Amino acid sequence: MTEHKIETPKERQNRHKAMEAAAVLEKIKHDFKEPPKAMDYFYDLHERVHCKHEALHSDKAKVGTMCIQVPSEIIYALDAVPLRLCNGFYADDEIGSDFLPSKSCPLVKATIGQFASNNFSDKPDIVISPTTCDQKAKSGAIIENMGFEVYDMEFPRTKESHESREYWRRSVRKFTKDLSENLNTKLSKKKLKDAIKKVGYAQHLYHKLNILRKDNNSPILGKDMFLVTNAFFFDKIDNWIEAVEALANECEQRVKDEISVASKRSPRIVYTGSPPIFPNLKIPLLIELSDAIIVADETCSSNRMFNDMVSVDEWFVNDMVDSIADRYLKGCTCPIFTKNEDRKRRILDLVRDYNADGVIYQAFAGCQVYEMEQRSVLEAMERAGVPILYLETDYSPSHLGQLTTRIEAFVESLKNRKRRQ
Amino acid sequence: MHYFAGIDIGSTAIKIAIVDESKKLVGHKISASGSMFYKYAKQALKEMLNELDIDEDSLVYTVATGYGRKLFKEADENISEITANAMGALAAAEGKCDIRTIINIGGQDSKAISLDGEGNVVNFAMNDRCAAGTGKFLDVVAMNLEIEIDELGEYHFKSKGTPLAINSTCAVFAESEIIGLLGNNNSVEDIVAGVHYSIAKRIIKLVKRVGIKEGIYFDGGPALNSGLVSAIENELGKRIFIPEFPQITTSYGAAILAHESHGHESKA
Repeated sequence: MTEHKIETPKERQNRHKAMEAAAVLEKIKHDFKEPPKAMDYFYDLHERVHCKHEALHSDKAKVGTMCIQVPSEIIYALDAVPLRLCNGFYADDEIGSDFLPSKSCPLVKATIGQFASNNFSDKPDIVISPTTCDQKAKSGAIIENMGFEVYDMEFPRTKESHESREYWRRSVRKFTKDLSENLNTKLSKKKLKDAIKKVGYAQHLYHKLNILRKDNNSPILGKDMFLVTNAFFFDKIDNWIEAVEALANECEQRVKDEISVASKRSPRIVYTGSPPIFPNLKIPLLIELSDAIIVADETCSSNRMFNDMVSVDEWFVNDMVDSIADRYLKGCTCPIFTKNEDRKRRILDLVRDYNADGVIYQAFAGCQVYEMEQRSVLEAMERAGVPILYLETDYSPSHLGQLTTRIEAFVESLKNRKRRQ
Repeated sequence: MHYFAGIDIGSTAIKIAIVDESKKLVGHKISASGSMFYKYAKQALKEMLNELDIDEDSLVYTVATGYGRKLFKEADENISEITANAMGALAAAEGKCDIRTIINIGGQDSKAISLDGEGNVVNFAMNDRCAAGTGKFLDVVAMNLEIEIDELGEYHFKSKGTPLAINSTCAVFAESEIIGLLGNNNSVEDIVAGVHYSIAKRIIKLVKRVGIKEGIYFDGGPALNSGLVSAIENELGKRIFIPEFPQITTSYGAAILAHESHGHESKA
């Protein structure tokens, strides 16, 4: 009998996650037309973090965030790093399933799964849990029970009213004060201004890159854009800025040289709904393997992180904090809001500005708000004459057959439509 | 003479249709998919060409569709079964019925497809991941009741009472539900009718998602089941059109596409 080494749960989990990540990276790197050279930075980064489990922030205080709504400017201004913990691993989803009802959102299950296994290369010192969707809000208490320090950050469910704006501003002011005490770091005017400028510059670069996708010679595929924006969850912001600068310059050149990653007939897609988070890029990959191209997205793991910039009137600490709060509330198009006309408007704007042929809407099975908002978005698109495909998915890597058929049939119908026009 | 083939590699059966230069259907064949899609598909095509006495070189263009379409590497092109189904339905009903809605029940999924006046796919819906209300489900039912699948229609019309309610259309749970009904001394006929009505209700929910437009075409193996057809017609309150060969609509559509694609290529 040969001796078999029995893996520890942590070793097993890391091996599974590395396998998942490697398989997706392989596809992303090799199954498509040649990506921009500057993408190598991001391929390498995701491999280091997700396959080799390298820590990037050993020297810094780490503030884990459970959602896009936690203002990163304030965390940077307090000399800490924000780490967005929204998780895309199926291996973690399986672990998290033990702690949540079976019909829960896979993203929430995967996030809880990572806490349950207490397996982080960059372990958060404190976790900020905004009261956005029900499942995220309730997760805070579950994570706290697992021994993590959790801070609930109150978030309103409407955004049009004066009350909600004031409520959220108070919540952000309180968060700023409490985090500053927790980290034992004083907030200065200069540091806050620098942080706003830096995050603003990152947003600017994203837009610089993104508008190049309006061109008919598409310089970059959506699957690569998701890797770039997903990296913003955890990368050192200075490195990210440098890498996106290089990528934007290269893509600008590609547009001039008429180098396209898609064919002339490839239908152009706007992607919306539950957020694709590496390595769960299965729908974006299926779309682009079916000869369509994602030219824009409306998701909280990508476009929504960069949408509106902080606009400051007076550069005093209190004014800056309020301006930051406004950016996070006004720009948000999350389906947790009672009404969500902004989201429909934004999708239609993207379709028009990016010259898209159709919309693909993904909802995670168990993500109730995206599932509920589906109908009104579908109706709005129908009224505007924009073809839309709705897909319900989860994190399981199998069962791609039906999804492929739906996506391919949709792409074929868009091509057909294009031919007739 | 040139010929064009459409191969639909489905979950239960491989369907092949061959058309000639005038798009006329010259032959078709249905064989089991088994566990080796690629091997059996190749075999079936070869046998068919032999039967029809068509020389391999005369087969100038092949389009593959269905779940196993990507495995069939010899195909000149592959296309999703939704587009192929629509093309096949339009051709099969040409001159007989103006098709605007297609219901397809296959081995492992069911679909509703909505067409515009020019025959383009405008919307479609598919069942979610389970065999509920599909051909596989009918297989399980027939097996439990110890009757042949092609006897289901006959039993349906012999039902004297009200069709029984089968609440679970999950192929696995329905099995125990049917055993329960048999245990309560219900007749096989009533159970069969109940099963058909439960499938009909489910498929109509799917059709409603794309919108019910008159000119309804029903294809796939289960369209041969007259009991199921009657249940769907009753639930819809509308007549539905059943083609001559319901199982091969999709492969027929793929064959027609092969003809068109070859035409485009020759011109180009």
